Amino acid sequence: MFADNRTVPDQGRSEPPGTPDAGRPIDPDWAWAPYKPDTQRPWDLRRAGHLFRRAAFGADWGQLQQALADGPQRTVDRLLRPDADVEAFHRTYDEYEASTAGSDSADGLRAWWLRRMMQTPHPLLEKMTLFWHDHFAISNARVKNALLMHKHVQSLRSHALGRFAPLLQSVSRDPAVLLGLEAAANRKAQPNEQPARTIVEVYSLGPGHATEEDLRSAARAFTGWFVLRGQLRYIEREHDTGTKRFLGEEGDFDADAVVRILLGQPAVSRLLVRKLYRWLICETEESDDALLAPLVESFRKDYDVATLVETMLRSNLFFSPAAYRQRIKSPVEFALGIVRGLEGMVSTTQLGQDLAALGENLYHPPTVRGWRGGQYWINRATLIGRSNLAGALLSGSEPYGDKLDPAAIAKKHGFPDPEPAGRFLLDLFLQGDVEADVGDRLLRDVAAAGGDLSRRLRRLAGTIVTLPEFHLA
Amino acid sequence: MHRKMVWACGLVLLMVICPRASAADSLPPANRWISPEAIFVVEVSQPEALLDLAFDPKMIEAVASLPAYQKQAEQPGFRQFLQVVRFLEMTLDTPWPTGVRKLVGGGVTLAASADGGALLIVDAQDAQMLQRLHEILLGFAKNQAEKQEQPGRVASEEYRGATCWTFGGDEAHAILGNRLLLANRSEVLKAALDLRAKPDGQSLASSPAYQNARAALSGDMVASAFVNLQPLKQHPPVKDLLTQSSSNPLATLLLAGVTEALRDSSWLAVGLDVEEDTLSLSAVVDGKAGGENSPAAFALPSRDAEGALPNLAVPRRIAAASLYRDLHRFYAAKDDLFPERTSGLIFFENMMGIFFSGMDLTEEVFGETRPEIRVVVAEQDYDSAVGTPQVQFPAFAAVFHLERPAEFAEVVEEAWQKAVGLINFTRGQQAQPGLIIDRPVHSGTKFTVAYFRSPKDADRTNVDARFNFRPALATEGEYLIFSSTEGLAGDLIDALKKEQAGTPKPLAETHSLVELDGAGLLSILAANRENLIRQNMLEEGNTQAEAETQIDLILAVLKYLDEAKLSVGSREGRPQANLKLKLDLP
Repeated sequence: MFADNRTVPDQGRSEPPGTPDAGRPIDPDWAWAPYKPDTQRPWDLRRAGHLFRRAAFGADWGQLQQALADGPQRTVDRLLRPDADVEAFHRTYDEYEASTAGSDSADGLRAWWLRRMMQTPHPLLEKMTLFWHDHFAISNARVKNALLMHKHVQSLRSHALGRFAPLLQSVSRDPAVLLGLEAAANRKAQPNEQPARTIVEVYSLGPGHATEEDLRSAARAFTGWFVLRGQLRYIEREHDTGTKRFLGEEGDFDADAVVRILLGQPAVSRLLVRKLYRWLICETEESDDALLAPLVESFRKDYDVATLVETMLRSNLFFSPAAYRQRIKSPVEFALGIVRGLEGMVSTTQLGQDLAALGENLYHPPTVRGWRGGQYWINRATLIGRSNLAGALLSGSEPYGDKLDPAAIAKKHGFPDPEPAGRFLLDLFLQGDVEADVGDRLLRDVAAAGGDLSRRLRRLAGTIVTLPEFHLA
Repeated sequence: MHRKMVWACGLVLLMVICPRASAADSLPPANRWISPEAIFVVEVSQPEALLDLAFDPKMIEAVASLPAYQKQAEQPGFRQFLQVVRFLEMTLDTPWPTGVRKLVGGGVTLAASADGGALLIVDAQDAQMLQRLHEILLGFAKNQAEKQEQPGRVASEEYRGATCWTFGGDEAHAILGNRLLLANRSEVLKAALDLRAKPDGQSLASSPAYQNARAALSGDMVASAFVNLQPLKQHPPVKDLLTQSSSNPLATLLLAGVTEALRDSSWLAVGLDVEEDTLSLSAVVDGKAGGENSPAAFALPSRDAEGALPNLAVPRRIAAASLYRDLHRFYAAKDDLFPERTSGLIFFENMMGIFFSGMDLTEEVFGETRPEIRVVVAEQDYDSAVGTPQVQFPAFAAVFHLERPAEFAEVVEEAWQKAVGLINFTRGQQAQPGLIIDRPVHSGTKFTVAYFRSPKDADRTNVDARFNFRPALATEGEYLIFSSTEGLAGDLIDALKKEQAGTPKPLAETHSLVELDGAGLLSILAANRENLIRQNMLEEGNTQAEAETQIDLILAVLKYLDEAKLSVGSREGRPQANLKLKLDLP
């Protein structure tokens, strides 16, 4: 399916012995082996920043410094299994969200989720919840029930770093999913093919693996399930008990059986590993089967998402130029990178609206295939929109107020003077990934400009986060 | 910050200490030293009245009990401020409340011009104290300037026989007898001194607009404000606001002539009076309230005996509004009022066309209503069998006065049931529960109510938000009631029976009366405290602790509001608004 041409981009940076040369296929053994820092590939601010951009929503200065002190493996450990009382945090936020969901406010839920992303002690979990929200792209535009959407995302979160089998099982019985797929009623007299087609072709196998007969059989297997007044109900007399043929098997299958058969297909593992590869490692080029084969094989055994994520995050490939800045930040990643970097908290009601205007409206994926992402995040209008959002976040005035203060953060970390404070902001947001002459000019400007330092640093921060490098994860 | 605080203390104290100044008698009124170009002027002519209220032990207790004050009092900056106050008390040999009275007791005037210039004129009762305080502050300023190696920062110059000082930056001030002039720019101060030197020159006092505005305010006010509206109306947000309301039917209906009057006005005068625990603000503009042919005529009582009715009193009331709006006349003039048909207006007409099918909306629907409309908002009394929603919306109702209640009540009943049917149909399409219609009797009056069936196994302490609503329709005598809840409909039936036992007297020259009950508002906000805190966290980006502080401050301040009453109408052809705030101090 894919040409065997996956190569390491040559970015002019030296790689250690064993690294394939630029232009040559990557050795999977090398790629998935744990990264060990050495003199040629040191554990530095750039790699620490890269890890937090992918496995979290960016980092503040303290987290970056802690990561430098801890080294990559311990930092990944912390991202996977944080020391903080994550359960207590989630209990508090679940309560907040439940109250908003009770008022049927999807905008409120969106605001709470953004706030949760900003404050969570377990950002990787939220990043993966967002991944699954993109994968099982259910929109409240169709569900029209904030409480069901709240429970849906809560379920995604509870399985986000768990195993895929129970997650798919849970999704197939989620009333929000059925409503989102316009399948509130699944009668045996008129099987609804939409949920079956989506679960097979979007959620598990991908397109081209099931025949039309398979899909019709799957639709028949889902009969009997209804969503009535927001409740999932099974009406036995509406279930088609006839014999079905599905992916080479035959029997009186129900929805659970369809999910079980799906999970036995190798294509499921391939689809998910490839998708996660794009999410965590690289979206600029298609991954080749040979490179992903070890992960596909191992993931298929138990569908353990955490292990797959861990393997990717610890890998040589993850910390190589093949992955570095090889993704375009989504609007959420872009905005949260600024907010988390500056250790602030802004109005997430407003931010939710602004991010929706930039194309990422949480709880409202545009289609059942989620957000297209990648290069589709960027066009002239969204670039201007991102620039305006950055300006609004950093302006110190309405609508976000003075919640983000680059000067105060620079001072807090020991950089009270203009030039060092400017350098601090460059390191915080770009970890040095800026052309030397551009960086020097920015620092000269901030040092030479008169007036209030706080305003100067707000302007500088605004300029930094609108540089092309900051848009890349 | 620290320096600003010291200046503020100093200024306050400047106005606090003094034997009565003989010079005060010789100085002309402050408004003669203010340029006629000023666009905003506030004059506190009776500072004593405001100081009496501010230093009232009940007020001090109320302020001291505010959580925000207590939190502030724990800050190092506040303690520093108190130290400065104590130092000045010792130096000036007077307690600070007395000092403040002596320093500002002669009157305070603040003027601002369109170019950003600002001038504060303070008349002390004790000129010596003013001088002493100035000397203390001068010494302090010089000391600071020298410490910062900027000795030239504190400077003075003579101008027209007065010594003009600056303690730094653009600030400039001068003391003439018992009068302090403080400006944000030296040229503003000099302009005031120019007017002092030319007693016959053009000043604010000689401006006809200012004179008319002062004359329009009745009685002896504690304080007054004059606003030159001409430049203000050119300010884009104000301009937009005045334009927008004319294209919004609901805003036009509610604001009824206010925007037209503002568009037509060149000045606004505001007066403040204080009587015991009640603050009264009255505002008047020079624009016309409108005549028979005015677009706002639908809100103008055509006879002296007409006007808004007194508000209805119901238990747990939060707010009430009484309006005089001739809906028939308003709707008949809609094409003139709103030449551009908005989507909202089209939707409204479509829906009304369904509900009142086959009827002429202008003549046969709105023509059946009289201009007296009343709105009531009240806290709900939840039925324990139904339960309490987590977000407790208040109940609200509108009461219309009918021309022919016997004939029209059934027409409305039919329309109302069509509306309930439409809601049920729409909810049914979404597999949502629908409303059930019932016909209960309250105090002998049969009315209609629609409700959602209560689920048997629901958590009664956190039921779905839809249980905030039990829409009801009732006719009581000449009045038609639309209520969001059955309970409020019943309370209004009782209130109207009581009112109709006598004859409600319309409020003369008043087309709008809005009343807010502090206790009711406090109660509903307190019931929703948790939700308000969470809302604040999301909207302001605050931490939970910060949000709690902000919401609790609002609740704490509201505790001291007994009642707010705003009436809008006209007097002698001029639009006028009056706001009364009755405080409930401990």
